[in-house]
Amino acid sequence: MSSAAPLQELFDRGRRGERGALARLLSVAEAGGAQAAQLDALCAAAAAPRARSIGITGAPGAGKSTLTAALLGVARNADQRAAVLAIDPSSPLTGGAILGDRVRMHQAAVDEGVFIRSMASRGQQGGLAQAASLGVRVLEACGWPWILLETVGIGQVEVEISGRADLVVVVLNPGWGDEIQANKAGLMEVADIFVINKADREGVAQTRRDIEGAIAARPGGQQIPVIETIATRGEGVPELWQAIVERHAALDASGELAVRRRARIAAELESAALSALRGRLAAAMAAEEGVRLRERIASGDCGIHEGVATLLGNIVRD
Amino acid sequence: MTTAPKRILMAKTGLDGHWRGPTIVARALRDAGFEVIMVGMVTADEVVRAAIDEDVDLVGLNIGGHVDVAERAIAAIREARPELPIFCGGVVPPWAKKRLEEKGVEVYPPGSQLPEIVDAARRLTRWQAD
Amino acid sequence: MNFSGLKGNYFLLFVNKSFLASRRPATPVSARPIPQVHGRMNHDSRPRRWNTVSGIPLKSFYSAEDVPAEHRRIMDAAPGAAPFHRGAYATGYRTKAWRIFQLSGFGKPEDENERIKFLLANGETGFLMEHDRNTADHCYNVDHPDVLARREDVGLTGAVMQSVRDIAICMDGLPIESTYGHAGGAVVQHAPFALAGYWTVAKRRGLDLRTLAGTGQSDFFLTYLGCVTKQQIPTPAGLRFNADIMEFCSKHLPRWVPVSIAGYNGADSGLNAFQELGALFANAVEYLDEIKRRGSMSLEEAARGCGGVSFRMSMDIIEEACKLRAARLMWTQLLERRYGITNPKVANLRIHCVTAGSMMTWQQPLNNIVRGTLMALAGVLGGVQSLGVSGYDEALSIPSEHAHQMSVRIQQVLQNETNLAAVTDPLGGSYYVETLTAQLVERAWQFFDEIEQQGGFLATLDSGWLHARAAENQHAEFMAQDSGERVVVGVTDFREDISPYEVDGFMGVDDAFDVAIARLEEVRRTRGERRAGDALRELERVCRGSDNIMPAMMEALDAEVTLGEVGDVWRGVFGDWNTPIQT
Repeated sequence: MSSAAPLQELFDRGRRGERGALARLLSVAEAGGAQAAQLDALCAAAAAPRARSIGITGAPGAGKSTLTAALLGVARNADQRAAVLAIDPSSPLTGGAILGDRVRMHQAAVDEGVFIRSMASRGQQGGLAQAASLGVRVLEACGWPWILLETVGIGQVEVEISGRADLVVVVLNPGWGDEIQANKAGLMEVADIFVINKADREGVAQTRRDIEGAIAARPGGQQIPVIETIATRGEGVPELWQAIVERHAALDASGELAVRRRARIAAELESAALSALRGRLAAAMAAEEGVRLRERIASGDCGIHEGVATLLGNIVRD
Repeated sequence: MTTAPKRILMAKTGLDGHWRGPTIVARALRDAGFEVIMVGMVTADEVVRAAIDEDVDLVGLNIGGHVDVAERAIAAIREARPELPIFCGGVVPPWAKKRLEEKGVEVYPPGSQLPEIVDAARRLTRWQAD
Repeated sequence: MNFSGLKGNYFLLFVNKSFLASRRPATPVSARPIPQVHGRMNHDSRPRRWNTVSGIPLKSFYSAEDVPAEHRRIMDAAPGAAPFHRGAYATGYRTKAWRIFQLSGFGKPEDENERIKFLLANGETGFLMEHDRNTADHCYNVDHPDVLARREDVGLTGAVMQSVRDIAICMDGLPIESTYGHAGGAVVQHAPFALAGYWTVAKRRGLDLRTLAGTGQSDFFLTYLGCVTKQQIPTPAGLRFNADIMEFCSKHLPRWVPVSIAGYNGADSGLNAFQELGALFANAVEYLDEIKRRGSMSLEEAARGCGGVSFRMSMDIIEEACKLRAARLMWTQLLERRYGITNPKVANLRIHCVTAGSMMTWQQPLNNIVRGTLMALAGVLGGVQSLGVSGYDEALSIPSEHAHQMSVRIQQVLQNETNLAAVTDPLGGSYYVETLTAQLVERAWQFFDEIEQQGGFLATLDSGWLHARAAENQHAEFMAQDSGERVVVGVTDFREDISPYEVDGFMGVDDAFDVAIARLEEVRRTRGERRAGDALRELERVCRGSDNIMPAMMEALDAEVTLGEVGDVWRGVFGDWNTPIQT
């Protein structure tokens, strides 16, 4: 990965359709920091046509990668170009990661109409969602009309990432009643479409009932599609694609999409601001003034509340 | 840690499904802080596509059969991204190892110790500018 | 030195090379530095845990009290009688030597035919007809894009056989009536093609299939654990295939071992001795339960059909020998307790062993002759019925003629020069061996129970649990090498190599792909297209229903349907197994 080429030039090349340039832009987005901020500004200025972004999430083992691969196939048959951001967790201990989603997408391996990028969480809780959001904007700026955001797991971070997409697909397997009950991170609330994958197994009907029970209380809960698929055989996948296209169009037409995007911007802004604040707070605490402040509080010269005011003042000032 | 982790592409040039070797190496590299992108059994075109789109810093090829197949992949990668370092592992006879080394590709046959491979990965990705 | 241009007599060339051309210049003794043992000098100073490779703690010596009471009760049973831990047959090797049975195959079918004849002439007593894995594993013809992209690999891991014509060439002149043959078809979705092909050729030769002896494999450990392909029929379809094969054999080929459960690939992926045991019997349970569910044949017959299994032999000699004793004991227990079968002709587990390919080193390959011998010895001490020894060049390539011959010679030395044939179960009665046998059985049943608790063998393959167990052990093994705990001669330590003989390995022939393409075109051009089309349609119809697929397969092979066409039927009907691991 080289940043020798000025970012603007790289951006222009990416916008012209150069895949290598796009790939490097995504690396810049992943790395965060000043360059990413610059890239963000370029994306905003480019005002590219909006892409349709779909989050695909669910517990490990649900078959998301296979399903995503199958969806790509259907999209391509419908002559749609699509990009995939496949996000996997990094090891919290070593910072490394094994990213294996591409393996299942070998049908798309040399298709010019598909772009697959593996992204690791890099242990940055808030930062990952930021990197993913920026990644989506970069892909959008480079002309990709459909973006699939595939995340593993159903923790807070994964749900947040999915929330950065226009529409969320939650993938379950038959017999996962407990998962539905547990409703981790509010997954049942964010889903726009449910998929019961591996639908050749037992327990499909019960799982469908469990889902319907869990979303009954949601406004518009009745309208949420629950689609059965057998991703390894491609069964149910055209129906899923159709549901995605239709739901997205409906959200757009009703104005809901615009509402969500604004909410997303607010969420992203808050998240990014908090992230930045956290950084500045740490720096302020570690700085000479911060250390002296702590000593003064410890020796009773200054109360905590006064200390907070001083610290915040320092942060704003610097 | 402020520098982004280096990304390594792990690919198999043959159509042989044995996974033990590549998995062990992938884990060792992950434990050393690399992001390892596994693509499985791929042709030359497929590995080039992945090397470009994933903007990797190093390619690791697992060779399970004839060295000619691996050499095709190497040539294709070099054409697309001439500066990208490549190293290999797997079952290769000594004459094939020499041939690859003469082409500037490091070869780690069975029995190569993991620290050696991890060190090689560090060394090969070190001069990639951040 | 590149052999790839040669088609002739490899053996002579190797001899010439090794004694004349590749003798390295010798360094005068005085000029050589004192060899440095890389890193680890003083092994004695490290605190050492003494375990078997599978982790069972070992005492420094054993006595009578160490043998568990329950085991002591059955210890003195005779070989050839329940519970069979001492041996499958009463008279052992005195009356029936173990079969020398080498994995073989490369190139065009005629090349493989030649190599098999070479091995038979040199003394092997069973033959294994391996199909080219590039085409067979996925059931592709050579014109499939994935194969075209790797054309030089075609014919490296077996002979390319795309239709019954190729199989006939491979079997030309082989004494199949009198010699035990393995028809190939190690990978589950390939087995029906390999078996139907072999049997069709036999029929065309006028042989009565009811008298034909031999074995298939169709091995879940290889297919779903050790060697995960890009596409494979899902495990339930695989189970259906194997049960169909078992049923078909019981009706038409009573002397044929329909499928062979081969723990080898479980072990070589990382499962330890007791895990290999537990998983192998969990696999057997899937077959037997399926047959029981179908009610289509007697369970005793099914058990007899499953009763020819395969284990890996590795370097912990005593543990490996005990593993086979444990296996025979467990089979007896399993049949009695779970299925109420006590017939001694069914309960005597017959075992084939292959020495661990992964133990063969790339460095100083001649040392592997020693390793092969030791692992073969473990098998002999454990009472195998048939044995394959990995080539000393295994870590470099497929076996050269010389490596193949060496594998046979190792077994001939064991059979003829050691007096091992004289006494069955020579290790029986050793306090250590009896204790370790009992301990392996205990741990193996625990592992078996863990598998059953998760829904059985297929469930643990589908979920990746079994792969995770294998990977854990592999990881531990590498950590042990790294820390110095595990020494591998020539690899971790003792790296100086002054062997004057270069081992070049063997890369097959140059023309396998070209000839295969030509033959594929010829078959398509000259076969009866109507009959082939009908046969494929019938095959698909049967696959979508629940009838036995083998009669349709026999017709398909006879109608000269090609491998890729069969594969297309599988893909169309059964879809793809959802692999639990990234490879």
